[in-house]
Amino acid sequence: MSVLRPLDKLPQLNTATILLVSTEEAILQQLADKMLREDCSSQLLVHLATSLPLPSNVTRPQIDLIVFVVSLHSKHSLQNVQESLCHVDARFFLGRVCFLATGAGQESHCSVHHHTILKLACTYQSPLLFTDLKTEGFLVAMAQRLVRMLQICAGHTPGVSALSLLSLQSSEIPSLEDL
Amino acid sequence: MEKQQEEEAAAELAEPGGEGGQPEAAGAQEASPKDRLSLLLRLRAQTKQQLLEYKSTIDANEEETTEEMMQEEQIEAKIEGLENEIEEAKVAFEMKSLALGRIQLSAALENNLEDVNTKTTLLLDNMKHVLKLNKLIMTSQQESWDLEETLLNIRKKRLQLKQASESKLLEIQTEKNKQKDDLDNMENSDKIKAIRKNLQEEIQTTTVIQHVFQNLILGSKVNWAEDPALKEIVLKLEKNLTMF
Repeated sequence: MSVLRPLDKLPQLNTATILLVSTEEAILQQLADKMLREDCSSQLLVHLATSLPLPSNVTRPQIDLIVFVVSLHSKHSLQNVQESLCHVDARFFLGRVCFLATGAGQESHCSVHHHTILKLACTYQSPLLFTDLKTEGFLVAMAQRLVRMLQICAGHTPGVSALSLLSLQSSEIPSLEDL
Repeated sequence: MEKQQEEEAAAELAEPGGEGGQPEAAGAQEASPKDRLSLLLRLRAQTKQQLLEYKSTIDANEEETTEEMMQEEQIEAKIEGLENEIEEAKVAFEMKSLALGRIQLSAALENNLEDVNTKTTLLLDNMKHVLKLNKLIMTSQQESWDLEETLLNIRKKRLQLKQASESKLLEIQTEKNKQKDDLDNMENSDKIKAIRKNLQEEIQTTTVIQHVFQNLILGSKVNWAEDPALKEIVLKLEKNLTMF
């Protein structure tokens, strides 16, 4: 089971699972805490990982949303994410993958050009969100946003599917003209 | 790439609004039947949505895609076409729901108007006012249309008059030209030349005859001054016959 496939298991009742992938575990932990504190009518399961592929010895429910967190300060995180992307099935990219870029505010520390990550998001046709996960307010806001996205991807919102959300979020997906 | 451990921070912090009964939770008896009902309804909606998603995935997988490798531009063009279809479907759906809403609204309005009481008078008054205004609009539009008609007719007449005057002037001009041409032709015609020639000859003959008479009279040494007839003949020299 080295490749993550969407919709390959039956969904658990009232449960939504999100997978956060990043090399910085502390930030992931904070984000996970904030998400779990969100007022949400469904049960949330947050899985954290530093890279894919996930170890296959653990049984886990099907994953509804994958968030790749890239820090623009380190090329290592970008590399990590790029390698992890190989282990994700193509059907995941129909609205169940999101890219999160942190640290864009401090231009001096940025070793990854934002152009690179724009191109990455454009290639994979997935939304790209910029945030600063060190500030409390932004952390909470991003947690809220991710929880809403997760609910839609898990099918808990009647009338909206992950794919329709993707087409609605077309402004977040970088296009070739931006590059 | 070294495999990192996966931390399963599966914090099962379920915070459903209003303590929706988890079957394992000890406080299941505390959950009111209303909350249970709402939970069931929510679960029903969820399951429906998930079923829809799974069905659509199955349908998508069943569709046979051609094995040949299409070029990127073609794929992108195809994607655009499909997205356009989706947009059109969405728009059509929106229009239909709007139309449905409108039908529902008008049906509700009808039902409302049927029972006449003090509350509906406001609605009726508004409708009557709207009708009055519409009538006014129609009459004023009719008036303006009539005025425009008359204006148009007048313009037409003016144009016709202009055209008539133009044609008349053209006629006059052609007539004048014709006259001029006729005159020129006349002057150049041979008849006139012949007539002129004859005239000249006659004039010359007459002049000669006159001169002959005059000389006769002078030569006969008659006192021509006393006889008026003779005077007239001699004095005819003054008259230049060529200047008729």
